[in-house]
Amino acid sequence: MDELDETQMKNQVESLKYQHQITREKTSVTIPELVKWVEETMTEDPFLNSELMKDNPWVETGKCVVL
Amino acid sequence: MGEMDQMKKEAEGLKSQIEAARKAAADTTLADAASGVAPAPRVQLKTRKTLKGHLAKIYAMHWATDCRLMVSASQDGKLIIWDAFSGNKINAVPLKSSWVMTCAYAPSGNLVASGGLDNMCTVYNLKTPVVKTVKELDAHTGYLSCARFLSDTEILTASGDTTCALWDIETGKQKTVFLNHVGDCMCLALSPDMNMFISGACDSLAKLWDIRDGTCKQTFQGHTSDINAISFFPSGNAVVTGSDDCTCKMYDLRSDQEVISYQDAQLNSGVTSLALSVSGRLIFAGYDDFNCNIWDSLKGEKVGVLSGHDNRVSCTGVPQDGMCVCTGSWDSFLKIWN
Repeated sequence: MDELDETQMKNQVESLKYQHQITREKTSVTIPELVKWVEETMTEDPFLNSELMKDNPWVETGKCVVL
Repeated sequence: MGEMDQMKKEAEGLKSQIEAARKAAADTTLADAASGVAPAPRVQLKTRKTLKGHLAKIYAMHWATDCRLMVSASQDGKLIIWDAFSGNKINAVPLKSSWVMTCAYAPSGNLVASGGLDNMCTVYNLKTPVVKTVKELDAHTGYLSCARFLSDTEILTASGDTTCALWDIETGKQKTVFLNHVGDCMCLALSPDMNMFISGACDSLAKLWDIRDGTCKQTFQGHTSDINAISFFPSGNAVVTGSDDCTCKMYDLRSDQEVISYQDAQLNSGVTSLALSVSGRLIFAGYDDFNCNIWDSLKGEKVGVLSGHDNRVSCTGVPQDGMCVCTGSWDSFLKIWN
């Protein structure tokens, strides 16, 4: 990576000031919410809910029918 | 000279303050929060289809929103539009430059785009009787590593010139240029709500951007080499990255920090690509060692592997309905697994 020139350095500093200002929520709030979101959505995930994989378009429906 | 040193010092100071703010927000870990979660089951997938047709390394693939069609790009100089259900080729688009690195399908299904060492993003209309070039988006001064359509009129690009750009396809001009990375931009991903995007670069940083005002909102560090792959977590609140440092990482946007690293002492190949299942629980990561490893995103453990390619896995993609995962490889084949 090349060394930054003055304008680029100025922009980097301005950007860092801006990024520093954001509100950071506590992980004790954000991570459990993320985990909960995943657990709730897993029922809609075909890789984790085999019910959904029953209509698998890549598996040939059998040509034989059980009488 | 003095002013540069002063600014460097200021920058270092700000970075330390940001780190301190992150530590202050870190009052629990993902390991603790997920301790009560049952581990994901071992995932054993079968190859349902092998798509044969490219004559050289495949560099990129992208699913259409109908979850049936997909586009792939190869250095044989072609984009192929596939019907993934039948394995049939719908279209083969010859490229002006065979040094392609990326391809994208527009959400409408009307357009596809490609780009690479020609430094351009070329947009094609698939709906005309013969596939036609709509526009050549030419302003980057470095290779095009990634492109993603927002709509039929706007597209985002990431470039080796260290910038990302938002283009108006009709005028062919850049509406916004995203400046902040100090290394080649290698990948980008759109947020589910389409207001933000994230980029990964050779400066080993991932950056979150506001599409409309062009500003870099957050910067995520931790990787020790190029970030080659990036994706939003489907909830929109986290980002997953894959790097040449052989690890994948998840960054939480709300607390602005890394929450877990997906790595294994025996894994010493770079990550080339990644895709998430619809719940985000599974991460499909393609590696230089010809495999695609499946990670439990909450527990950080490997729960499966997709072996079958005879060369590097260069691209992976899960369609919107989450019904399968597609891997593309330097062995010239694409495989559909579920």
